[in-house]
This record gives sequence, structure tokens and C-alpha cells, in this order.
Amino acid sequence: MAEAVSAAIRRAGNPGRSGHVLSIRSARDLFSARERLARLFGCEDSSRFVFTGNATEALNQAVKGVLRPGDHVVATSVEHNSVMRPLRRMEEGGVRVTIVPAGPDGVVDARDMVAAFRKGTRMVVMVHASNVSGALQPVGAVAAAARRQGILTLVDAAQTAGSVPIDIPSLSVDLLAAPGHKGLLGPQGTGFLYVREGVPIIPLTEGGTGSRSESDRQPEFFPDALESGTPNSVGIAGLSVSLAWILRKGVESIRRKEVALVSELLDGISGIHGVRFFGPPDPSARVSPVSFVVEGMDPSEVGWRLEKGAGILVRAGLHCSPNGHRTLGTFPTGTVRVSPGPFTTRKEVARFLTALRKIRNLPS
Amino acid sequence: MARAATPEMILVFRGTHQVLSAEKQLRKGGVPMRLIPVPRHLTSECGLAIRIPLAERDRAREILSASRLSPLSAHLSLGDGGYDLTPF
Ligand SMILES: Cc1ncc(COP(=O)(O)O)c(C=O)c1O
Repeated sequence: MAEAVSAAIRRAGNPGRSGHVLSIRSARDLFSARERLARLFGCEDSSRFVFTGNATEALNQAVKGVLRPGDHVVATSVEHNSVMRPLRRMEEGGVRVTIVPAGPDGVVDARDMVAAFRKGTRMVVMVHASNVSGALQPVGAVAAAARRQGILTLVDAAQTAGSVPIDIPSLSVDLLAAPGHKGLLGPQGTGFLYVREGVPIIPLTEGGTGSRSESDRQPEFFPDALESGTPNSVGIAGLSVSLAWILRKGVESIRRKEVALVSELLDGISGIHGVRFFGPPDPSARVSPVSFVVEGMDPSEVGWRLEKGAGILVRAGLHCSPNGHRTLGTFPTGTVRVSPGPFTTRKEVARFLTALRKIRNLPS
Repeated sequence: MARAATPEMILVFRGTHQVLSAEKQLRKGGVPMRLIPVPRHLTSECGLAIRIPLAERDRAREILSASRLSPLSAHLSLGDGGYDLTPF
């Protein structure tokens, strides 16, 4: 991936702005990345995948591009701030927002979500898996009910894209956002928004697209409608290589490995007195970030000790989702979060558990 | 300048993604083609176009309409550097 980025940055070339060889190379990188995204998510038409700088930009585009004053929107209480803050902004402009609380394990009940639908509900927003508790949410059931009632479904797949199989058409999802730099193993500064054909959406950013240059109006066809300005073609060249790797490896196999590692992690943590994890205890009902607390110790102190003592890097504190923490009862101190990925080994999980025991002054 | 020994046709599309999609489909269908910079005097469009032998018009049309990729416009190459707008 790093080599693809480096090659692209040395080659330069602005995609779709010219007909010379470098511009074509760059346009081809974008095209192949888009085609791979479509394959990964089971879609025919890759033009519906719009590149963004990250998941946050994609979520803002979806929320602010679709909702209008008077619309009603339903979301879970475990949304990331990249959903909650745009929703609160829209609320000031006359959008009505209903937040459906999750249970103590961080999972929202699909029936509660559907019960919140009412006349005027335009959209339901759901995080596919919470970045705080790791809990997978019942997106399929809610999206299917929403589709039957003509309500759009926006999914925040930041914690699942590339690590949990997602077939967009069979999920009845209308909009789906994800970053390139997490499970898709791409570089920072990449992300995408999928928009199903026929979903009315207004671009947040308008400008040069390399198409329809004779007109001073934004094109309405995809992906140009939502992609203005010079894209991060260097980053997307890297993302494209990562997507090819994921397609070769298979998301199912990546997921199996993640479930196995999370299972070892949860078993290990459960055996350490005074350490408690959050979210579903069943590894198949959750994803990789495992949030935990060590009794009587500040999360940042735990993080610091893991780094100093064992060279293990974790995230400590509030994970950009205050409501997610309130749901788990970990607001405002937060949690420590450890996230095994596709390149994590069982040995590394064992080393982490040893370091955690040491923090609790237990024999390793 | 008798460059075009075989009569050729230039297909112009809405955007870069559509050109590259059309390229992919035409190659898959075995239509000989080249990606070229859009000739400036055809449209003010920046970017790329597709050149095919005129004899491939029917096959190209079939392939492209099956993938919902109809070109914005099609142009006959006159062989002297000039082009004539033509139905596709
Ligand atoms: C659930 C969730 N949504 C959205 C985001 C935002 O992603 P990005 O940093 O790519 O904007 C994150 C990242 O932490 C996340 O975990």
C-alpha cells in the first residue's frame, strides 16, 4: 500500500483533468479503486461510490445532503460524533431528531428503532458496529423495515467495512459511509460514501469535476455530482491496492480471524480480577475494538503503562461518542480500547494479556 | 493527410468514470479501441474519449447500451483531422 502511494506521489497527474498519460494513470487508479469497492460491497454500479477525505466527510454529506427542514430522523444512542454533531446542527435548522437508547451491552433493539418511525420520518441512521462497545447493531432488520415504509437508511460502517461481510443490496441500505484507513487498510485521507441510485442528495461541495466544463452548474451524474476539486488520488491509489488484498483474502476469512482473536482477548480479560470489558460477551456479536476498564485506575494511566511496559499502543478515554459512553456507564472517564486487526497475532494478544496482569500486580 | 486508412469513430462520454467504464466493457466485448484525449474542437469537455473503427459501431452500441453507458455524442473521423457529428 505504502509503495503504491509513493509511486503515485512521484508520478503525480491530476485525474480526469486532462488527456495526457499521467492524468490517465491517475484516473485509472480512481476507477480501479471504485470498481473494487463495488465488488467488495456487492454492487453492480461502481459510479455510486463517491470518494471522500474520511468517514466524517461522507457522513456529513449524507446527513446534510438528504435531510431538509421538517424531516424526522431516527438514530441510535451509540452514534459517533461524526453523525451526532451533523444531526444536532440539522436540528437547529428544523430537522426533528429521535435518539433510540441502546441496552447496557451497547446493542440497540431493532423493534425500538422501528417503533420510533412516524409520519415524516425521512431517514434512519445506524452505526454498523459501535466504536466504543464493539457491538454489532441490527442494521439488516431496521433497514428492511425502513425500506418497506419508504424511509432511507444511512449506515456508518467505520468499524466494519473490510472486516465484516457487507452486501449492500441485500441489506436494503441506501447510503453507507466508511473511512479508507481502518478495516479497508488504506491510507489516511481516504473514505467513501455509497449512494443508491434514485436517492435525492444535494452536494455539500460544488466545483470542478473535469466534466461538463462548458457549464457553470454542477453535473447531476455520479460520481461527479458529489466529487468536486482535485481528489486524493495518491491516497486512493494506496487504497486500491489494499482493496485488492482484501478481495483476494476474503472478508469472511478476515472476519473469522478477528472473531478468534477477540474471543481470546475476552476470555483473557474475564480471567483477570479487577478488569472489566464492555459490549457483548459473544465475539460473533461484536467487532474488534474491545473497551475495558481497570478497577481503581484511570484509563490514561493504563494506556501509559501498556505503552511503557510492553510497547502496546491503545486508545484511552472517550472515543468520540459521549452517548455511547453514557450507555455503557463509562462517561466521563472513558475506557481503554484495544483493537486486534488482520495483522495481529495470537502471540501479541497473549503478550497484551500478560502486560494487563502485570498492571494488576498478578503473576503473568 | 490521409491518416485514417480505416474509417474511425470517436465516442465522447459524460465524465471520466463513464469513459473508463465504457473502455472496460468494450475491451471485455473484444471491440478494438483506444483511449484518446478529447479532440479540442469536438467539445469543450476536458478529458478522455474512445476511438473505435467505424465497422465496430453496431457491436459497440450493443455492448454500451446493455451497460447503460450511452455516449454523449459520436463523431466520424474524416481523415483530414476533421470530424462530423453522427448518430450512435
Ligand atoms: C463509528 C465511527 N464513525 C465515524 C468515524 C469517523 O471516521 P473518520 O475519522 O474517517 O472521519 C469513526 C472513527 O473513529 C468511527 O469509529
